Amino acid sequence: MIEQAGTAMTAASSSASTFAIFGAVISCAVIIIGAAYGIGSIGSRAVESIARQPEAGGRIFNSMVIAAALIEGVTFFALVICMLTVVWLR
Amino acid sequence: MSLFGLNGILAQFNPLAPITSEPLFTFSLWRWDVTVSNHMFMIALAAAVLIIAVPMAVRRRKGVPGGFHSLIEAVCVFLRDEVARPILGSHADRYIGFIWTVFFFILTLNLLAMVPTEKFVTLVTGKKSHWGGAATANIWVTGAMAAVSFFMIHISGIREQGLRNYIVHFIPPVPWWMMPFIYFLELISAFVRPFALAIRLFANILAGHILLATIMGLIVLFKSFSVACVSLAVVVAMSFMELFVAFLQAYIFTFLTALFISFSVAPEH
Repeated sequence: MIEQAGTAMTAASSSASTFAIFGAVISCAVIIIGAAYGIGSIGSRAVESIARQPEAGGRIFNSMVIAAALIEGVTFFALVICMLTVVWLR
Repeated sequence: MSLFGLNGILAQFNPLAPITSEPLFTFSLWRWDVTVSNHMFMIALAAAVLIIAVPMAVRRRKGVPGGFHSLIEAVCVFLRDEVARPILGSHADRYIGFIWTVFFFILTLNLLAMVPTEKFVTLVTGKKSHWGGAATANIWVTGAMAAVSFFMIHISGIREQGLRNYIVHFIPPVPWWMMPFIYFLELISAFVRPFALAIRLFANILAGHILLATIMGLIVLFKSFSVACVSLAVVVAMSFMELFVAFLQAYIFTFLTALFISFSVAPEH
C-alpha cells in the first residue's frame, strides 16, 4: 500500500492543480486558526464577566452565542470558498 | 440475521445522500416539466407539519394547555419578548408573525434533516428511495429564505419611511468627501448581509451532515467491528451536537433578520 501511495504521489505532483488543492487545504487550516482564536477569546471573556457578575449571566450568554455564531458565519463563508476551489478542479 | 428478507438493504445508501438533491418525479405544468426533488418534498413536508400540527396543538379545548401547546407557546413568547421587543420596539407586533414563521420553518427543516426519512421508506417499500433529506443543506433553499428576508427588510423599510426617505437614510453621517465610498459600502452591505445569512445556515447544516457521513463511511473503509462501535458512538455524540446546531442556527437566522428589519424600519441615527 505504501508503494501505491508513492506512485500516486509522483503521478499527482506532475499536475499543477495539486498545488491549488494544497493551497485550499492549507488555507482551510489557517481559517480555522483565526476562527478558533476569535471564538475562544469571546468565550473566555464571557466566562470572566459572568464570574464577576453572576446575575447578568443570561444576557452575557445570549450575547456570547450571537457573537460566536456571527464569527462562525464568516468562517463558513471562507470554508465554502475553499471547498469550491477543490470542486472546480475536478 | 434476516430482517424479513431485507438483509443489507440500507447498506446500498451513499451516506451523503440526504444532502444531495435527487429527482423524485416529474409532472408537467402547461408547457414546462417540473421535476420535484427530495429537498422540495422536505419543504412541503415541513410546511404540512407546521400548517396542520401547530394550529391543532394550540387549539385550546380544556382550560389548561397541554405539553405541545406549552412548548409552542413558550418558544413564541421567548421570540416575542427576548428577540422582537428589545430589537424592534414598538414595531415588534407588525413583524412578529414573519419572525415566528422564519424560526419555526427553519427549525422544522433542520430537525427533519436528522430524521432518516428515506431509510424508513426504503425499509417499508423494499426499494431504494430518496424521499427525504436535509433541505437546509441546499444553497438554493437557504438562498430562497434569505431572499425572502431581503425583500421583507427593504419593503418594510420603504413602507415605513417612504421610498425617497429610505434611499436617503443609507447616507451615513460622515464628511462629504467620504460619503460616496461609505454609501457604496452601505449599498453593498444590503446585499451581502442576506447572502451571509444564507451561507451561514447552509454551511453549518452541510458541514454537520458531511461530518456524520464521513464518520459513518469509516465503517465501510475499515470493515471492522471495533471501528463500527467507536464510529457509532461518535456519530451519536455528533448527532446531539447537530440537534443543538439546528436550534442555534434557526435562532441566529431569526435574530439577524429581526435586527436587519430594525435597521431599516427604525434607523438608529
